[in-house]
Amino acid sequence: MVQFFSDVLIRTVDLALIAVGLSCVYSLIRFPNIALVQYAVAGSFLALLLQGAGLPLPVAGLLACLLVGGLAVLLNVTVFERLLASGSAIAMVGSLAVTMILSAVFLVVFGPDSRRFDLDSHPVIRVLDARLTVHQLTAVGLTAGAVIVLALLLFRTTLGRSMRATATNRVLAAATGIDARLITNTVVFLSGVLAALGGIGLALKGEMNIQLGMDVLLPVFAAAILGGLGNALGAVAGAVIIATAETLVTNVNLGPLVGEPLLFLPASYATAMSFLILVAALLVRPHGLFVNEVKRV
Amino acid sequence: MFEFLIHVSTMACLFGLLALSLNLQVGFAGLVNFGHIALFGCGTYGAAIAFANQWGPVAGLLLGGAAAALLALAFARLGRNLGADYWGIATLSIAEILRTFATNEQWLTGGAQGIHGLPMLFGSLPAPWGPLATLGLCAVLLAVCWALCQRLVNGRYGLALKLLREEPQLASSLGYDLAALRRTPLVISGLIAAVAGFLFAHYTTFVGPDQLYSAETFLIWSMLIVGGLGNNLGAVAGAFLMQFLLAYVPFVKDALGLPSEFVAAMRLTLVGGGLLAFLLWRTQGLIPERIGGRHA
Repeated sequence: MVQFFSDVLIRTVDLALIAVGLSCVYSLIRFPNIALVQYAVAGSFLALLLQGAGLPLPVAGLLACLLVGGLAVLLNVTVFERLLASGSAIAMVGSLAVTMILSAVFLVVFGPDSRRFDLDSHPVIRVLDARLTVHQLTAVGLTAGAVIVLALLLFRTTLGRSMRATATNRVLAAATGIDARLITNTVVFLSGVLAALGGIGLALKGEMNIQLGMDVLLPVFAAAILGGLGNALGAVAGAVIIATAETLVTNVNLGPLVGEPLLFLPASYATAMSFLILVAALLVRPHGLFVNEVKRV
Repeated sequence: MFEFLIHVSTMACLFGLLALSLNLQVGFAGLVNFGHIALFGCGTYGAAIAFANQWGPVAGLLLGGAAAALLALAFARLGRNLGADYWGIATLSIAEILRTFATNEQWLTGGAQGIHGLPMLFGSLPAPWGPLATLGLCAVLLAVCWALCQRLVNGRYGLALKLLREEPQLASSLGYDLAALRRTPLVISGLIAAVAGFLFAHYTTFVGPDQLYSAETFLIWSMLIVGGLGNNLGAVAGAFLMQFLLAYVPFVKDALGLPSEFVAAMRLTLVGGGLLAFLLWRTQGLIPERIGGRHA
């Protein structure tokens, strides 16, 4: 049972930060930015490169996060701001195009093989009955820390108040003297940092490869949409739901249902399960579980 | 070289069909479908499952068409109360669920290995004529579907679709049933995609889940954006352009002596870069949508 909860926790951590980043940026820029999952890959690869250049991993990770944040702002200013003028669907297709171009860049620069951070072996710790590695615990700590810092930033600082004001009513916020474009780009920067941190967390626990981004794309979207796109902390709750569902699907013995002793679904059905929850949730509550915004037609 | 040209042309015709059908959804009705490849997959697997159970190709075509129509109805049901971007993600999810299903349910779909050995359409004809006849059939079907799409979108019905795309609330206030207006083009487009899938299955003689990656949907999207959203001729032109461009990438690789990753990276760059360049600098595509009536 404890192992089950720890599996859920680990999977939540996989998804949470990228989903939070996605949700954050959606509150200000009204389109789901698919390229965000590639920022996560960029973050882990940059950290790897910087570590290879001789920096200690924490410094390399921090630097990589900042660089990816910069990349996110750069892409927002040069590409997405212009595309958004033609509508959110066009911007979404544009973010898809950016995703593909980034994939091509990763493929040429890093090659198709999986890589790992240069770390000590993964010593296993027993917490109650669950087996965890130090690196998994580090990732959990990083995620929890980042979410807490973000929550404090959003709800305890002037900058956070400006962000929430701009998200709620851009025109009114501008009228009170908030520089909406600056705030937007700050949030874009933050989303890049969060995604990169999420990517580094993913890579800490296992391998990194160029497919990482596409692999987490739909679970991350499912988590963010379940939490109500635009609701940053809702995305964490969404990630918990998705992680629970995925872990349940692969761990529950369906044998008794069909009269056989043992029947487990293939592991690849785990992600399919999260998509199914997403589709079902969208059928019932079209705009996520934690959003009350009315959107007609 | 001649055979290669025939092959690329056949693929271009098949993707032309797919581009036409996606254009009906995206270009005219404004339905942002990211799961289009699943409708194509209904066609391929319809053919493959009918072959595996020896029901004959006609049953395969019917099976594929029925599955695609059902899936299109499911898409339409989902779209009844979803914003465009949410619907895009939902369709993408459904396409991925179906691909996962096709990969894992060995008893029905042959699993990851897929189903091999489907008969060629004109397999009995001697060497150059079999593929040529297939190309001819695909070209004729493309022309027929093009005419069908043209007929659909010119005239009152097309105007209603465009109104749905631009001002859904106005369309609703004029008494149009929005749900029905979304359903019909989705089902028609699903049937066209299923026919393309059926032909593809009997042309390549192999059906597998690897043909249904979302990347294929995005490739069709790039054809539309490059060719011109909301213009049937543009969709077909985009399909031919992208297919021929992508087909010659391996030759460039050989000529320059580049590693094999280059092919995959170059394909991604062509599709992504084409999409982005046209979105940024020529949103209307190569052949822009004709705005206004016949006499405008």
